[in-house]
Amino acid sequence: MIKHIPHIILAIVLMLVQVFLLDNIDLGSSISIWIRPMIFPIIVLLLPTEWSSIWVLITSYIVALTLDLLLGGSGLYVVTLLPLAIFRPALIYMTTNRSIDSSDQSQLLARIPLPQLMFYVALSLLLYHALFFIMEALSWANFFRTVATIVLSTIASLIISWPVVRIFTSKLIA
Amino acid sequence: MHRLLEFIKRIYVVLLFLLLEGIAIWQYATSTPYTEAKILSRTTAMGGYFSQKITNIDHFFSLSGENDLLTRRIAELEQTLEREREMLADYSEEAWKKRMQSEEEDELHYIYYPARVASMTISRMRNYIILDKGERDGIKKNMGVITPDKNLVGYIISCSDRYSVAMPVINTEFTMGGCLSMTNYTCSLRWNGSSPSHVDVIDISTYAQPEEGMPIEAWSERLPKGVIVGHIEKFEHNAAKTAYSARLRLAVDMSALDNVLIVENTHYGEIETLMDNIESQTSSSNNSL
Repeated sequence: MIKHIPHIILAIVLMLVQVFLLDNIDLGSSISIWIRPMIFPIIVLLLPTEWSSIWVLITSYIVALTLDLLLGGSGLYVVTLLPLAIFRPALIYMTTNRSIDSSDQSQLLARIPLPQLMFYVALSLLLYHALFFIMEALSWANFFRTVATIVLSTIASLIISWPVVRIFTSKLIA
Repeated sequence: MHRLLEFIKRIYVVLLFLLLEGIAIWQYATSTPYTEAKILSRTTAMGGYFSQKITNIDHFFSLSGENDLLTRRIAELEQTLEREREMLADYSEEAWKKRMQSEEEDELHYIYYPARVASMTISRMRNYIILDKGERDGIKKNMGVITPDKNLVGYIISCSDRYSVAMPVINTEFTMGGCLSMTNYTCSLRWNGSSPSHVDVIDISTYAQPEEGMPIEAWSERLPKGVIVGHIEKFEHNAAKTAYSARLRLAVDMSALDNVLIVENTHYGEIETLMDNIESQTSSSNNSL
């Protein structure tokens, strides 16, 4: 339990930042429709790789359900965050060429090279944002605007979350 | 039961994911009228798409049965048509009344039996087709074999109880007469063994005016009129300029043969007996000389 305290703290902090800061920050209406950073997927991405998939799924569900309740997502956060949890092993394998099913994979994310870690985080955020904004729009009427929102928001989320990822993975090594 | 539990144990994470995702989608879909309308229309469209695909697959697997049905139906229609043709050919008040009184099958000139190709060869000099109908289905030697769209395939040369063997046009021993469509100019069909899609036609009268693309019909007591052998691809005078010879593109694609009709000429036995009598008379008169 004690060794999971950093993850619990990270989850609480990121959710609070998302709910009280990022979702309330006023960048002006012209910017807000293009850039909507979401950093809470990092909670799922940084969950211990040695955890079994059922625990990753349950943790993701709790995080998403909390966000749905706090942000009035009506299930949108669960719909979009659970696929990230279920496809996380595939994403890790795709971006780092390492399987989390093999034996000694504890603290895998802390041991992979930085470019691969960044690729993993960036790709996962892109997929999450794509799923989120497509599910939110439910229409291809403003296709290019949706694509622009996905790309810009992913970049913004990556910029905000990268220091968190770095600090967290460094702490894990330590 | 044990295997089922093992299987569920192996995929329970995916099942849980699908369950939670399903509940969340339903919750999201019913949250506002906009999402309800959008997701409902999408799921309806997807349901329709998959339903269409399943129907198509189902239809594909039923095609074989439908083909059999159609072939049987064609055989029945050909028989009806034959009956009508015969009635029109020798129309008279008396004959008409007689035929209306009895329309038994044995009075028909041609009887059609649907069959399917069990196996066949097309790459040899002597090719044969094995059909899935035999003596117990009423098949006899010397019956003609055609496709449902009335193209010549060959004729039966041997029968067993369940199967029959047909000699197709693409057999070097195949012999049959032909005639230029819509004319009375006859000719002979031969296969030289070179191409399974072409046969040679010889002895076309010089009075005939063959043209490229002109159809050649089979001219045989085994078959009814109007059975197409193929179409003239090229023609030329023979060396002595006494007749035309032509290269014919076969109307039937031998490599894709499946459903066929076996045709029985009910008068064939009578014709054969007659021909045998003539031959025996000729040979006995030759011997006496």
